[in-house]
Amino acid sequence: MRRRRRLRFYSQPDGLILNSLVDIALALVIGFIVSIPLFFESGIFVNAPSVAEGGASDVSDIKVNIHLLDDGGILLNEEFVTYEKLNELLPKLLARSIERKVIISTESNVQYQRVINILDLAKQYGAGELALLRIRK
Amino acid sequence: MKRMQNINILPMACVGLMLVLMMMVIAPLLMTHTQTPVDVPRAHTAETKTEENITVTYTIDSRLLVNDVEISPEQLMSAVSSELEKDPYQLVVIRADKGVLHRDVLEILANVKKCGAKRIACATKKSEE
Repeated sequence: MRRRRRLRFYSQPDGLILNSLVDIALALVIGFIVSIPLFFESGIFVNAPSVAEGGASDVSDIKVNIHLLDDGGILLNEEFVTYEKLNELLPKLLARSIERKVIISTESNVQYQRVINILDLAKQYGAGELALLRIRK
Repeated sequence: MKRMQNINILPMACVGLMLVLMMMVIAPLLMTHTQTPVDVPRAHTAETKTEENITVTYTIDSRLLVNDVEISPEQLMSAVSSELEKDPYQLVVIRADKGVLHRDVLEILANVKKCGAKRIACATKKSEE
């Protein structure tokens, strides 16, 4: 009698058990949500070069002008610095600046990756605005 | 006792989930134009914005493409202007190879700005370091 009851309990087919499939699908969705930003490109917003009419300002702000040289040298506010020194000085300058604006100019044969590295560094240290300067032809 | 008959919604949920998954994969591909292989520079701090944009691609062999259509440098301004006519606030993404000279990228940036672009971004990839 006992055996028959147990058999009946196990032999009742109640359709496919899809719970595990739903679990896997949900895990896949979460996995995709997390991984999609890693696969796609992101970007750094920049101000394109332009010439604006200069107006006199009452408040003087600390400027962060970075000039990249062809030979790998870096000028920070017209003074030679190494990349490590720039790492050290940039946050201090930006902390004292109101606008937190970083202006980057380069010599003619500087590689794009170097400029992005500097833009990236400035952004890491909280630069509010990034501008790229161009010499007018 | 009569057994209650429920509607089995699990297959529908599965199909729904699969559709969501497919949409998530396909939507960014349709909105962005990144079919041309370019080794974009690496950066730590990058903002991810998956929105419809105008993509200006500049390859290491100096090819210029707007939305994956190859153009000559002289055609750049007209191509970007015609795209910006639809929406002046559309994001313009500059996808330049990390090995190109910065002055070439600046030239492109300046031309894009002349076309009236209000939002410009340089494409980067998240640095793994």
